[in-house]
Amino acid sequence: MTTHFENPNMEARLREIRDGIDQGRFPAYVFNNQEIFDLEQEKLFGQAWTFLAHESEIPKPGDYVTRYIGNNNMIVARDEHGEIHANLNMCRHRGNMMCKSEMGNASHFRCSYHGWVYKNSGELIGVPYLAEGYEGKLKRKDWGLVKARIDTYEGLVFGTFNQDASSLEDYLGGFQFYLDLYLKQGPSGSEVHGPPDHWITETDWKIAAENFAGDGYHTPVAHQFGFNLGYFPSSGATHSQGWAASIPGKGHGIGLGHTPGFTPFAGFPEELTAEIKKSLSPDQVEVFSNTRTAVGTVFPNLSFLMQPFSLIPGETGVRFVTMRLYHPIGPGKCEMYSWCLVPKDASDEYKNAAYQAYTLTFAQAGTFEQDDLENWARLTRMAKSSAAKGIEFPYLMGMETERDEHFRGPGHVVKPYVNDSNFRNLWGRWADYLLGEA
Amino acid sequence: MTALSTVDRAIQEDIKEFIAREALAVDERRFRDWLDFLAEDITYDVPLRVVREGLAEWELSPTGRIFQDNKQTLEVRVRRLETDFAWAEQPPSRTRHYVTNVLIDDSDKAGEYEVTSYCLIYRSRGDSIEPNFVSVFRKDLVRRVGDSYQIARRWAAIDQAIINAHNLSIFI
Repeated sequence: MTTHFENPNMEARLREIRDGIDQGRFPAYVFNNQEIFDLEQEKLFGQAWTFLAHESEIPKPGDYVTRYIGNNNMIVARDEHGEIHANLNMCRHRGNMMCKSEMGNASHFRCSYHGWVYKNSGELIGVPYLAEGYEGKLKRKDWGLVKARIDTYEGLVFGTFNQDASSLEDYLGGFQFYLDLYLKQGPSGSEVHGPPDHWITETDWKIAAENFAGDGYHTPVAHQFGFNLGYFPSSGATHSQGWAASIPGKGHGIGLGHTPGFTPFAGFPEELTAEIKKSLSPDQVEVFSNTRTAVGTVFPNLSFLMQPFSLIPGETGVRFVTMRLYHPIGPGKCEMYSWCLVPKDASDEYKNAAYQAYTLTFAQAGTFEQDDLENWARLTRMAKSSAAKGIEFPYLMGMETERDEHFRGPGHVVKPYVNDSNFRNLWGRWADYLLGEA
Repeated sequence: MTALSTVDRAIQEDIKEFIAREALAVDERRFRDWLDFLAEDITYDVPLRVVREGLAEWELSPTGRIFQDNKQTLEVRVRRLETDFAWAEQPPSRTRHYVTNVLIDDSDKAGEYEVTSYCLIYRSRGDSIEPNFVSVFRKDLVRRVGDSYQIARRWAAIDQAIINAHNLSIFI
């Protein structure tokens, strides 16, 4: 794809950034910059597969949620045959936003302006005064809602307007191995526990995406209370242990934090652990048995975290999963979406305990989340400083580290957990998209 | 419902004072004291609000919560705030809970009262000139304990679906 840059200096700047990433450097200003934001909207969010919904949010025919691809508000609906569609939430007649609720159930959507009616699949079926007004010139089949491509993996629904994008399978490029930990929590898989929490934060989406791509480094400091008060089963002495796994050239990355002597899958009820092991491959069981914390990002802006949290100091506690989406709404500003994923087959007792651990740690009143957002909002604010324009950050951890050949999962996998390897891969992919070379 | 409460006026006055003192404890960041206002078996819930059509079955999620707390989890939050590294509250938020429209009715159980109130929370952070405003409808269950009262249930629905605060490191 050839790329036209409105600002001729931009391409040179991006090439410089691209080269710097491989040498372990990345500029500060990109975390809060209008030009970068505009480029991302066009060249990244307009091109890549981005997350729309989890299938369990719309289980029945007619169920829908409204979400975004880039800045495009989409209706993601399950039609009467059970098939999922993502259509632009914009009437083709004069462009009114049709659906004003976040979720619901509807067989049809009727525009409140002139009354055009669409099936939940996006097909135009009703036009008032069709015969009297349009004199046979308007063919309903030509004026359906603007449809995005969708593709799914284990309940995750992704969408794109890019007709040339390769399949989602190719896009994920082997990262599925790691996603299964979150998505195959037992034979029936995972489901959302209620609708997502969402809120606006003065945080650039990239900071959150990077943090969740495996930033084990921040945890002992940013979330020090969890360590010191004994609610989080790790210790500063061993916290660097574990792995950083990334899919080269794809941008996805995951950190797998390890606690020596930790019981495999601790924090799940025993009977659930047995079911989960049956749903995973032997390699996955081996890898995840050594994992206390799994924190990963699907490029560009969808993340997952699994970790235990205990209400009783010193105990392992309850393992929970959160899924989050960072929807960029401006430079240095994003709308955070946060879900809790629970095993579909688990007892209500465990689901409630996992959800409680989740609300206490993540989403907007969660203790870990509070600390992250405080740091990220300040970082975002500083990134806009005029003096920050010329500075770069070091991404030097693990530059020389060789792949861990004994590790049984795919991708570039290095030790320890505390590593910048995933982030160099993440920002490399980001730069490739902005250069039109993804 | 136009009928006035059958609860004794003196009891109502006491409960209003109790609720105001509870707000004062939070706003003065006397969180340990605040825990004493809460019963051991308290349920403390803030449901998620979802933008829905007018005829939808619910707007407040039956399963989704911003807070889904009990005395034990609230103590975890308070213990955290007592450390030097609860970064979200360093420096601390300055909050003011404006509690109005307090209505007190008998519950099914003697000595326990259904107390509804409006609560406007003003929150100022650091050097920001833009405060957060969180408007809330609360449905409390207030229980007579000795010479005073305790909150046995707090259920608080926030009016805004998308809250204009980067985090909720405060109590509702």
